[in-house]
Amino acid sequence: MTAKEWTIDEVAAVREVDLEEALDPAEPDGVYRDSRQCAALALQSGSTTLLLSPPTPRPKKG
Amino acid sequence: MEQSGTSALLQGVVQDLASGVAAALRGGGPAVFPGGVPPEEPPDGILIAAVRVLGADLLLPHVLLHTPPAEREVTLLRRAVDAFTPAADAAPTVRWSHWGMSRGLHTAGVRYGPAGGGPGAEPDAGWLDETSWQALTHRLAVLAALAVPGEDCALARGAQRRVVDVSRGFVRAVRRRDWRQAAGAGRWLAVLDGVPETLGLGSGLDFVELMGGTDPVVDLQVRAARLIRAGVPV
Repeated sequence: MTAKEWTIDEVAAVREVDLEEALDPAEPDGVYRDSRQCAALALQSGSTTLLLSPPTPRPKKG
Repeated sequence: MEQSGTSALLQGVVQDLASGVAAALRGGGPAVFPGGVPPEEPPDGILIAAVRVLGADLLLPHVLLHTPPAEREVTLLRRAVDAFTPAADAAPTVRWSHWGMSRGLHTAGVRYGPAGGGPGAEPDAGWLDETSWQALTHRLAVLAALAVPGEDCALARGAQRRVVDVSRGFVRAVRRRDWRQAAGAGRWLAVLDGVPETLGLGSGLDFVELMGGTDPVVDLQVRAARLIRAGVPV
């Protein structure tokens, strides 16, 4: 971003911004790995196994 | 999650700062805008807000590499501490990150805090023993700037008491592909004793970097964790 792109409105908005969202963020929703990434992890992890254990059950909806 | 324009703007500057810190961790030098002040430096208010979000990590290269902070870095951190004093009922992460910034100034040799004697009283830490391991890991990852070698505060002691829970949280974060949380938890594990060998922290950090390292905040945390694991002198 170049200096020319900053506007007075943007600057004023940041002064008013509630930093709570940035300083105390909610945990984002998880996205689980697919099998290709599991394979990449297996190649990386060497002799360790904990990261390769079966995924935890996802919460049931409804 | 959709971000407001202001939030996205702020996060962009936070990422720029994190890139600077990560670069400084790679090769030393000033953390803020390595190579000098670029022409696209953001306006003052935005920069101070971004420094507040990045927190004590602005001075991390100097803490880990024992280089003197630039005057500008200290000034920015001090202004952010003064400008964003947390409310009494603020969330623990808000209060602890603010305390960490004051502590960082003090560690850097800046006389700061009540009568210049230190960062002041530590915020409440009771939640560390009461919260679930998932929420604990999330909060500690947000507060990863306080995960530095030799830090003796209630937050670090609480994290040490729950090192196995933080390990579980690291695994959970990797599985959920929450790279920021994984990197922050990994940095905490780098400073804690008693991390289970079966965790494979080194390989886990490699994987987090592989998958999430394009995010400057993740990059910063992983580099910090590696430096700490390599045994930077305290």
